[in-house]
Amino acid sequence: MRAFTGDDDAATGRLVTRLFLRRLIDNDVISPHADRHESLAVLCALVVSLAVFVTFFVSTDYLAAFIQLPGPTALHALSDRFLFVSASIAVSALAALMVWDALALEPRDAAILGPLPIPARTITRAKLAAALVFGTVFAFALNAVPSVLYPVFLTLNMRGMNGRGILQLIVGHATSVVMAGLVGFFGVLAARGVLRLMVGERGFRHVSSTVQSSLVVCMVTALLLAPTVRAAVVRDWVAGVMPARWPAVPVLWYLGVNETLAGHIVAETPIVPPPRFSLVAFPRQQDDASRAAYRVLAPRFAALARRAWLSVPVVTFLAIVTFLWNNRRLPDQAAGGRARSRLRASVRRMAEWATDGNPETQAGFFFTWQTLTRSVPHRTIVAIAVAAGSTHLLMALATTGAHRLAISSMPLGLLGINILALASLMAGFRYAVTVPAALASNWTIRLAWLGDERGYLAGVKRAAIVGLVTVPLLVLLPLHVAVFGFAIAVVHSIYGFMLAIAMLDVLFLGYRQFPFACSYVPVENPKLLWPTGLAAVLFVSYGFADVERLALQSATRTVALGAALGAIVLLVKIIDRTTRRERRPVNFDERPALATQRLGLFERMVHPD
Amino acid sequence: MQAGLDARHLTKYYSAVPAIRDVSFTLAPGTILGLLGPNGSGKSTTVSLLTGLREPSAGQVWFDGRNIADGLVEYKARVGYVSEEAHLYTFLSAREHLDLIGRLRRLPSHLMTHKIATLLDLFGLTGAADQPISGYSKGMKQKVLLIAALLHDPDLLILDEPESGLDLTAGLMLRHLIPILAARGKTILYSSHVLDHVERVCAEVVVLHHGRIVAEGRVSQLRAMTQRNASLEDVIAQLVTTVDPAGTARDIADVAGLRA
Repeated sequence: MRAFTGDDDAATGRLVTRLFLRRLIDNDVISPHADRHESLAVLCALVVSLAVFVTFFVSTDYLAAFIQLPGPTALHALSDRFLFVSASIAVSALAALMVWDALALEPRDAAILGPLPIPARTITRAKLAAALVFGTVFAFALNAVPSVLYPVFLTLNMRGMNGRGILQLIVGHATSVVMAGLVGFFGVLAARGVLRLMVGERGFRHVSSTVQSSLVVCMVTALLLAPTVRAAVVRDWVAGVMPARWPAVPVLWYLGVNETLAGHIVAETPIVPPPRFSLVAFPRQQDDASRAAYRVLAPRFAALARRAWLSVPVVTFLAIVTFLWNNRRLPDQAAGGRARSRLRASVRRMAEWATDGNPETQAGFFFTWQTLTRSVPHRTIVAIAVAAGSTHLLMALATTGAHRLAISSMPLGLLGINILALASLMAGFRYAVTVPAALASNWTIRLAWLGDERGYLAGVKRAAIVGLVTVPLLVLLPLHVAVFGFAIAVVHSIYGFMLAIAMLDVLFLGYRQFPFACSYVPVENPKLLWPTGLAAVLFVSYGFADVERLALQSATRTVALGAALGAIVLLVKIIDRTTRRERRPVNFDERPALATQRLGLFERMVHPD
Repeated sequence: MQAGLDARHLTKYYSAVPAIRDVSFTLAPGTILGLLGPNGSGKSTTVSLLTGLREPSAGQVWFDGRNIADGLVEYKARVGYVSEEAHLYTFLSAREHLDLIGRLRRLPSHLMTHKIATLLDLFGLTGAADQPISGYSKGMKQKVLLIAALLHDPDLLILDEPESGLDLTAGLMLRHLIPILAARGKTILYSSHVLDHVERVCAEVVVLHHGRIVAEGRVSQLRAMTQRNASLEDVIAQLVTTVDPAGTARDIADVAGLRA
């Protein structure tokens, strides 16, 4: 037998790295049951189309300008770049969170590669290399389109700009956002490694899912807040009126990188008016003032950039060191930790109380609870819904503050906090039930199910009422007490509870599947459905907040609104019960329409013009 | 009305490819039928049609004198099934998984709790009952499948490679359990590659090859068809083997022994 040499080790390492990369994409980014090429094509199309849309949306002012003044443009572009950098950090971090479990060696790695004559260090390094390559490629892919389009759009109507300048702008933009993306991805890797180092393997197993979900909530909230806060943050920072708050500080570092590399190119571009057109004095003065204001910022940009240049190696070093230390041995294949029996016992008691002893209702209740808390895709969907609610909460509080006001002058944003949070949670939950808990395991439920989904569905809804309605209302109650006073806060929470039950029943009115156990069929027309759904959620939330503000001003109207809500809840339940009397077969294996049908090509082939 | 399981001219196509064609056999209550055949012979497809998880392209499955398609849910309520692949909800523990199955089958709460605890204990899973299934070995998963199949006291048991991954003790226990269940009137279909197990457990067998039945009857009859004192393994080998096993084994050893 030939002995292993250094060359063999390197070749094996490359091979195992490719294997890990392939599995990262096949098993962790897309479903192992999906067609890889189609899923990747859809993912790429989504990234590119979103990038084009956002870049175009951000650049409308520049595209519509007749003469683009360089001074104001250089200042205005700061908030755009703040958005691009924060989006790059948040989306890259979310990508890392999506493959959270695959960011370290897993028992399956040990099971497959352990018996082979490969040194453990080669496997560890290969896994690390796969994670680093994946993060780097993702950061480049995410930022490629905006890095080219945005500088072009920004300077399209700036006649003094030349090709070399645009190229420099592209390089500057790409450098800053890719650096931000790398820090977002490797930051999660480093945070995971540090946490694992601090709490040990057993402790990490217990807290891992909670930390992952919390980070998803934070990142999605940051992503949703960025478009709203970018102008204010940059304006305050430029004016120097207050130091930037911490979540915005790292974003400003990478903004500094862009500005030190290429920002001055815009600010120093000469004004070249169109032929037969001369610029009057006022715009020129405005331009000069803006250029001067921008030049003053140069030392501050340089200071920010220094931190940014330092952050990438520090975060990467931390990620690598903690990874190598934590994975110095192949993971043990021993079974996971014992479930916490006290928690299980209390959940069981709660379920028995909430399900009237009906076994199917209990099955629905428990399985929903278990799936939402333990299945990674479902946990992520709920975390995103929580983030949407949290974003509105933060925006409402930032706008109005948590001061007690008379109910007649209460801002709708504050009154709408719980309704919007509950609406986003209900929408997220409605989506989550369409995702199978484990596609290959659906047969167990299909075989055991006795043909009537009503009892099971009632359990599913009750789990949502406990976990996604009651718990958030209890969490928000102290805030509501602080803002509205105790009595109004309680009434407000009861209203929210009733409206959430009505929303839940309405969302499930036409649902004739088996939650978590049918194949996933994507919505036919997301471009129409999602914006419509968002508009409906905002309309219902703010409309109801307006009605509630009116009702809470007198006791009679308060009772009347409560009675009206009770009637709505009852009516929806009666409609639901009536429509479910007719038993329709559940299609467990429903398949989505073929891609060609979705594009309308199939109809063209069948019915040529 | 004929009691037991009656597969009538079952045919199943996947796209245009036939998996099984015109498969018919009957299985009376209290009997154990072995379903045999090499890989790709159509055993799993036949089992999926018998469980009602797939619909046949042609033919019917009757149980206790009723076409199962006329009352699929009622039929499934009487079936216990151990699948070939142990696909389970890995984020659940064994107890949680069995709770889910028991509740969906509307077992009374106290009976379900008692049965689950006792069966987990008898199968030696009590210690791991509250750990996630993701950490289970293949044999432990197989035991969970067996308990889930027995939980509701089914009239028809369909076992697809039930001994797969089981340790020696559990395998022996299973071989004793199956005749006991049959003696209590259960109808049992036992699909397996391990001919030794089939020979010990089943009195009758059906042999599938390329999606068709190539032989059926009592094991003793099949032996008589071929040669005296032949084992079931020899009989099946004569029926479905198209290669020379000894010669192929030599070839494999030769290729494995090649060196640079």
